Amino acid sequence: MLKGKKTLKVALAAIAATTLASGLLTGCSSGASAGTITYLTNQDAWTHADPQRNYTGRDIAWFGSYLNRTLTAYDRAPGAAGSAVVPDMATDTGRASNDNKTWEFTLRDGVTFEDGSAVTCEDIKYGVSRTFATDVITDGPTYAIGMLDIPTDPATGASTYKGPYSTDATNDVASFDKAITCSADHKTITFNLKRSVGDFNYTVTYLSFGPVPKAKDTGDQYDLSPVSTGPYKIKSYKAKDQMVLVRNDKWKADSDPLRAKRAFPDKIVVKFGVAAEVLDQTLLTDKNKTAVSLDALQPTNLTAVFDADGNPVKKYADRAINVYDPYVTYAAVNVKKLNCLPLRKAIYYAKDFKGLITLSGGQALAGDPADGAIKPLMGLDYAKTGLAEGDKDWKPEGNVEKAKALMDEAKTACPELYARATDPARGITYDTRDTEVAKKAAAIWIAALARVGITIKFNFIESGKYYAVVLDATKQGDLSAAGWAPDWANASTVIPELFTQEGGFPMSQNWDDPAYPAFKERVVANLSQADRKKQGAEWAALNQYAMDQQWIIPGVFSKTQEIWGSKIGGAFFWEPQGSLSFGDLYTK
Amino acid sequence: MNGISAYIARRLGITLLILLAVSFAVYVIFSLLPYDPAALTCGKNCNDPGIIEANRIRLGYDKPFWEQYWLFLSGLFVGRSFGTGAAAIFCPAPSFGYSFQQHACVTNLLGDALPVTIYLAVGALILWLIVGVGLGIIAARFRGKIWDTLSTAFVLVGTSLPTFLTGLMLIIFLVIKLDGSPFPSDGYTAPEEDFGQFLLSMILPWVTLAFAFAAIYTRFVRSQILEISTEDYIRTAKAKGLSDGRILGKHTLRAALAPIVTMAGLDFAGLLGGAILTEAVFNLPGMGRLSLKAVVDIDLPVIVATTILAAAIVVVMNMILDIAYAFIDPRVRV
Repeated sequence: MLKGKKTLKVALAAIAATTLASGLLTGCSSGASAGTITYLTNQDAWTHADPQRNYTGRDIAWFGSYLNRTLTAYDRAPGAAGSAVVPDMATDTGRASNDNKTWEFTLRDGVTFEDGSAVTCEDIKYGVSRTFATDVITDGPTYAIGMLDIPTDPATGASTYKGPYSTDATNDVASFDKAITCSADHKTITFNLKRSVGDFNYTVTYLSFGPVPKAKDTGDQYDLSPVSTGPYKIKSYKAKDQMVLVRNDKWKADSDPLRAKRAFPDKIVVKFGVAAEVLDQTLLTDKNKTAVSLDALQPTNLTAVFDADGNPVKKYADRAINVYDPYVTYAAVNVKKLNCLPLRKAIYYAKDFKGLITLSGGQALAGDPADGAIKPLMGLDYAKTGLAEGDKDWKPEGNVEKAKALMDEAKTACPELYARATDPARGITYDTRDTEVAKKAAAIWIAALARVGITIKFNFIESGKYYAVVLDATKQGDLSAAGWAPDWANASTVIPELFTQEGGFPMSQNWDDPAYPAFKERVVANLSQADRKKQGAEWAALNQYAMDQQWIIPGVFSKTQEIWGSKIGGAFFWEPQGSLSFGDLYTK
Repeated sequence: MNGISAYIARRLGITLLILLAVSFAVYVIFSLLPYDPAALTCGKNCNDPGIIEANRIRLGYDKPFWEQYWLFLSGLFVGRSFGTGAAAIFCPAPSFGYSFQQHACVTNLLGDALPVTIYLAVGALILWLIVGVGLGIIAARFRGKIWDTLSTAFVLVGTSLPTFLTGLMLIIFLVIKLDGSPFPSDGYTAPEEDFGQFLLSMILPWVTLAFAFAAIYTRFVRSQILEISTEDYIRTAKAKGLSDGRILGKHTLRAALAPIVTMAGLDFAGLLGGAILTEAVFNLPGMGRLSLKAVVDIDLPVIVATTILAAAIVVVMNMILDIAYAFIDPRVRV
């Protein structure tokens, strides 16, 4: 999941414990079924409310808690337990056969839409079909397209099935009908995949594998009025104003063990467009005691809430947390342009991590130096790569001697690139967003690399079109600022996405690197690895491989801060979604 | 046709031509921008050329420029539909296009935003005219006295404090930190929904916006009056023994009125395009917020529509002022 405008936080998996403030985990038993929770955000509206278009961890957590049920879901628990997959609309977490190419789920009794009609296999099938209408249903995860056994056009690589809205006579509905089949009683859904996917029951936690009633589908406009299957339903939703949820009286608690004892508030309100400073002040002063912020605290207000070690100060001890989010930030290296390993390594050693992290608010709040593309929270898939703090030659402020020695090596190994990098008129380029912080960071980079003779020039790109530019292979510079979080608890959503040509975020452009073919082969083999432990160890090894090639300059294992009003209970950080577990909040 | 009707007809004709030219210029500028509007709507899968092409066809960006412009113009009169099949969307006339980012016909977005901005601008205009003109008169009348000094201080503070700071301070101290504050902290309420709440939600934005303008008007009115006071006819009036109050009311203010009206008309028209900062701080869903969001998201149909509308308001306001002059001063009609 890329870090940026379109898509923010997403799933992560996790084993390591998060630094939750003590006393937060009050559990759900103390919640009372009453009251109104008010969410505040600076956004004018939800990025997407349409289940097939929802792709940010925070939004999936919110909609999944209140409105959208899926076949399986992440357990609502703090720490590593939250990353376990549990049944939601389905009776179990799925039954795989045919070497993990066929997955079968059976719907529970009593699962309904908000109008009381039963959710059937056909509704889920219809929901999944919408993902294929990529010209209307934009921004959503496309795992259905990548995994379901539907042919692709050999010329374009696009699926031959174009979704439910297509009027094209060649639309391959037959293949889609074979890829998802429904039992005669409309309760069992079978997914036929084109390759083995051992963790497909994680994939279907995405709301995009959820049901949509065909009669209520309004295409693009469904984003404004999605139909609920959860304990609440939308009473009103107006951009730049508010969304109001009330109880869904057709929802049956006994069909929904995950949410049964947790649907606390009677009413849920989301206030859109609140100015960032007004939002922060409302929460800092506890003006609205049952308010919860959907946004991160502004950097300037962090020191009022957290001490130098990153713990909430006494006043906010019960209503703020500082935790690792699912992201790893890094500078993507365009290997096509910087096809010189010693030069890439020189940049890694010359970088001034200390200066950059101080600019972001210090290690306690901004995060720790990253040693690769996989975060320690990933548990099975993480192993130290020997970079950053695990590297005796690495220094927080940069190791100038080591970098200079590598530059000498580059001079003979790749004289042309060396000449460009050290020529003040040409230099190497770095793409970044056009923000105040990025400009200050640029100054730190320029000074740090100047110490070893490298000239670096910054290409500031308007935030709104940042990824549109850097994901265009012809427009990307030598280095580009980036961030990524796994889509679920498996580095299969990291390593192939970042470092293979077919991946969703292939900013390293590393497929001409001589080290690539061997790497690619191992990635493909590991995607079909059924033994999760072996698969994890191999992801860790491939992460190591990518770092040995310095296909990225790792940045930060980043942190995030959340704050809520004093009369809100039940708050904990839900690791797989990288946000509060909204469905567990209640008013005290 | 008598003189004034012919004049108005001519002015209307020119205004329409200017609006056409403006729409064309805006359309050209946005078609020259280095953005691919089809790529901008394709989300995470921007690196898939198939999806981008499908978007281009659906949005009509595959057609030649002239055809696109014609479709845009004709949409204003007959409406326009976007996409095909079950997912097609029709925006009735006058259609400014469809925003796929906000899932709404642009005309509806304008229809929602414009009243909010009009309420904001009208309230602020009344407030700043009362305060600005009043203080300006007092400052001129008591030139060099304590009132003049105080008004100078007001002008200095008003012109140097940025709107977002004034607004933020008002919110933080009068809404968030003030217990039992009558002002709502959650933004705008439409007048048809709850008029009392509407007034309460608008008072601070009016004050914020009027504060900055009132300061400028105070300075302007003061200097106008002082300048006019040195004119020969004022001296004559004084020599005739008219009282200061009478001179001010009957002669000085009357002469100062025309430039004040012109300035207020143009400022008002400018504000209708959106008071971005005030709207953002007070969470008012007006034209400023609409334009700002469109620019940040590169939502081209909305940018084109808000730009054309803002330009149209200024052009139309100019026409109204010109026609008003024609009534005041027949020489203008030549």
